[in-house]
Amino acid sequence: MRGRQARVLVALLAGALLLAGTLWGTDDNFPFGPFRMYSTAPDPNGAARDTRVEGVDANGRTVAITEGNSGIRRAEIEGQQQAYVDDPSRLGRVAAAYEEHSPAAAPLRTVRIVVRWHGIEHARPTGNSYDEIVAEWTR
Amino acid sequence: MKWLFAPVPLGRVAAFRTTVYLFVALDLTVFTPWVRSHANLPGDLYEPLLVGRILHLPTPTHLLVWAVFWALIGLALAAATGRAPRILGWAVFALYAEWMVIAMSYGKVDHDRVGLLVALAILPTVGHARFGDRTLSEAAGWALRVTQIVAVCTYFLAAWAKLRFGGFGWATSAVLAQAIIRRGTWLADEIAVIPGLLIVAQIGIILVELLSPLIFAVPQRRRWIGVVFFSSFHLVTFSMITISFAPHLVALTSFLPLERLRPLERLRLRLTHSKAPQPNPTT
Repeated sequence: MRGRQARVLVALLAGALLLAGTLWGTDDNFPFGPFRMYSTAPDPNGAARDTRVEGVDANGRTVAITEGNSGIRRAEIEGQQQAYVDDPSRLGRVAAAYEEHSPAAAPLRTVRIVVRWHGIEHARPTGNSYDEIVAEWTR
Repeated sequence: MKWLFAPVPLGRVAAFRTTVYLFVALDLTVFTPWVRSHANLPGDLYEPLLVGRILHLPTPTHLLVWAVFWALIGLALAAATGRAPRILGWAVFALYAEWMVIAMSYGKVDHDRVGLLVALAILPTVGHARFGDRTLSEAAGWALRVTQIVAVCTYFLAAWAKLRFGGFGWATSAVLAQAIIRRGTWLADEIAVIPGLLIVAQIGIILVELLSPLIFAVPQRRRWIGVVFFSSFHLVTFSMITISFAPHLVALTSFLPLERLRPLERLRLRLTHSKAPQPNPTT
């Protein structure tokens, strides 16, 4: 009987936390944060953001910085984007992560976050786009 | 209250337990291999989640990430056998929770695994359960019911979050167009240009999410249809934007009559069956 009461209590508590997280929480409250994947409502006639990270190595070659060669997911860069914009020297950490993951590759001289803005009309892609550099760091 | 504790055969929990723990090993190796690469990241990219700060969890290092990885693989495979369900179950839960903090503390939180986490937290409470055991248990019923509720919440509360962050305009916004631009497959790019289709899809998504609790109104015998329906939704999502929701699909199996799964028993039967009809050559 006591086991039953404890189980009800635990279920109610977890349910309340999950509900509170949905109403007022943020991702920081994981696992009780809101299920906010794809929950924003971008303007059906605005531009859509497509972020990438790229580096320029010692040979002057531009390389895409990916999860595979740096261990950092694109969404992780986007999640901390403001910190990179406020302090571009933070991109030096990305260069360090790249060198750690790809020891054979030429080291990076420059790392930047580039946003490609894609045109959207009536909630459909128009095929037009332009690039904007939002943060850049050079060694 | 009766509903929350509706008894289920212990064999169902035994099969669910093996499924969940095998998935944990697969998750680490196949589905989310990127978590391991956090071992090589500079410590100052680590922005611990609230739970990490409350528990004063250490900043992940190479040693910590790989120690948790190998310990989890070993313990999850051991737990999948069904032996020592409480001690192994709690150990896997604690380590997987730490694994989640390592995964989600670098600027991106995923929303596909709350059901799995709840299953991991709850399975140790059931205790011993054998494959094929038809004994009815309220503790087992509660464990599966709670997992089911959280799995359905993943949809229902996602609709709620859409209303909170996107408002009513979400259904007619460019949310899917944006998702496809960012990570659309060839198939998605073909479909995105059809006028109005993405808007219809968005209205469909929010309706399905809001109506998802109706799966509890479906008789138990037919609930597998609901699971197939939800799974097909994730299959379409995967084919369009390569987001799999695999951990959530594992939580959804809590709706299925898994006690019918008896792989070892089947194998044994087949082996004895294939031996039996052979005539003895000496007679």
